[in-house]
Amino acid sequence: MSDKNPPLSDKALEVARRIGSLRDFLEFLKENGQCINWSEEVYPEPDIRNVAVAAGRDSMNGPAVIFDNIAGYPGKKMVLGVHGSFTNLALLLGHPKGTTIKELFYDIISRWGADEPLLDFIEPDKAPVNENRLTSNFNLYELLPLYRINEYDGGFYIGKANVVSRDPRDPDNFGKQNVGIYRIQVQAPGEFTLLSVPAHDMGRHIMAAEQEGVPLKISVMLGNHPAMCMFAATPIGYDESEFAYASQMMGSPMRLTKSGNGMDILADSEMVIEAELMNGVRSFEGPFGEFPGSYSGVRKIPRFKVTAISHRNDPIFENIYIGRGWTEHDTLIGLNTSAPIYAALIKDFPEVVAVNALYQHGLTGIISVKNRFAGFAKSVAMRALGTPHGTMYLKNLIMVDDDVDPFDLNEVMWALSTRTRAEDTIVIPNMPMIPIDPAAEVAGKGHRLIIDATSFMPPDKLGGDSKIVTPPSGPEIDAIAKVIQLLQNGGQS
Amino acid sequence: MSTCPRCQAEENKIRTEHKGLNAKGELVWTIFNCESCAFTWRDSEPARTIDYNLREEFFRVDPEKPYPVIMPPAQYK
Repeated sequence: MSDKNPPLSDKALEVARRIGSLRDFLEFLKENGQCINWSEEVYPEPDIRNVAVAAGRDSMNGPAVIFDNIAGYPGKKMVLGVHGSFTNLALLLGHPKGTTIKELFYDIISRWGADEPLLDFIEPDKAPVNENRLTSNFNLYELLPLYRINEYDGGFYIGKANVVSRDPRDPDNFGKQNVGIYRIQVQAPGEFTLLSVPAHDMGRHIMAAEQEGVPLKISVMLGNHPAMCMFAATPIGYDESEFAYASQMMGSPMRLTKSGNGMDILADSEMVIEAELMNGVRSFEGPFGEFPGSYSGVRKIPRFKVTAISHRNDPIFENIYIGRGWTEHDTLIGLNTSAPIYAALIKDFPEVVAVNALYQHGLTGIISVKNRFAGFAKSVAMRALGTPHGTMYLKNLIMVDDDVDPFDLNEVMWALSTRTRAEDTIVIPNMPMIPIDPAAEVAGKGHRLIIDATSFMPPDKLGGDSKIVTPPSGPEIDAIAKVIQLLQNGGQS
Repeated sequence: MSTCPRCQAEENKIRTEHKGLNAKGELVWTIFNCESCAFTWRDSEPARTIDYNLREEFFRVDPEKPYPVIMPPAQYK
């Protein structure tokens, strides 16, 4: 499919070549006014949480925040909000400040399906991540400035790690090596729990190891290349490599090396924690403030033991604030949740213009579609509910016309106000639903709501007497809007 | 530190995990872990989080109660 992808812009390639690590990206964000240092002393709780929530309020332009004066952690650095705003994502993809969410959506769509892995392998002794290596006396509480993300979390969480594991039954298969983001609760100086379920690749690996009685080794990568965090959360096929995928999306090589326990890891990450599953052990985990803005409960989950730690000099601990939205989690995964739904829909329905599934991992979605005939949008909605992500997540769907930008909520509300009849809503009861929907009467089941806010089409006669104003729109008006923004910023973009 | 703020386990179940020092080497805070319910806390946290009586009751844990087990190992036997 790669020949179908339009070439990346010169600017996108220039940025991609320049950014090889978290450090590179923080420097780039700083140059663009999108990364600040919080140098006043903070206590781990509640100060870090307070700053994170305040910085996260501006989902368009909020900065990454580096903490370099944490009480009890002299000399340690941590960063939050690296993916906390759409402007930060825009800069990563080679766009200027002021890029709209819709423009970013189309950029990601245009990169979607590139299939030429761009990976450079370097020797472990030349990899920055191996500048320091510990093989005993591990103390995660000392190495990382850990803190409680939300006040009733069960402990201190690492919320933004990319975890590498290999299928213990097929350990030499690069494609079946999985990289995913799983929440990690530190349980002891050298032990942690990791939450996965049977549907996850990691869950399959855990079950396979315990069934066969073989070791499951993992490498937990912290402070990673920003594309890795952004794209490791994207649902791709079981035998596709997330490393390859992230490099393809960036259009520039990513540097890999080998961890001490045989995984492929990013050579330029801040820290890699090597660990082994404690077969058959389950420990209390949670609660944890999750993306719907509610706590998931206490459970007993698999536990891992640290076997080695590699880290760069003066490592930067990257974490995320997650809880009631808007948070960095919403920005980090929103567009990559929207893109696969769109890609699935246009196979059958080329009339679909855009999909906005930014809200709570797609619990609410807005789909823009050109109606072919009356009721057509409802058929598209049904198809969306049958996509892999839609099956468990798309709880509320709002269907709007192709002249409505689904990422502009003012336009969506206009469509709801003027194009919806109460009988154009559909409720499908007792459907599957992710268990952590806080509105669920029974966890794991839920009702689906479709609101058809598209305009009336023949043979529907309703609305035939009213004519919609057609204000000027299109690229020319978009360009004028950017000029206005430029003038407002005193000529600075 | 007498009991666990979450499950009220006795002192003998509480493990001292780590002591945070400042640049001068002075103690700033201490992290504890409860071996009964796996709660981890720092003694410098707001009372709402680490005082059993001020915490919301909803978040209390009774380790004797059955909690859901993710991928129960017993399924392989």
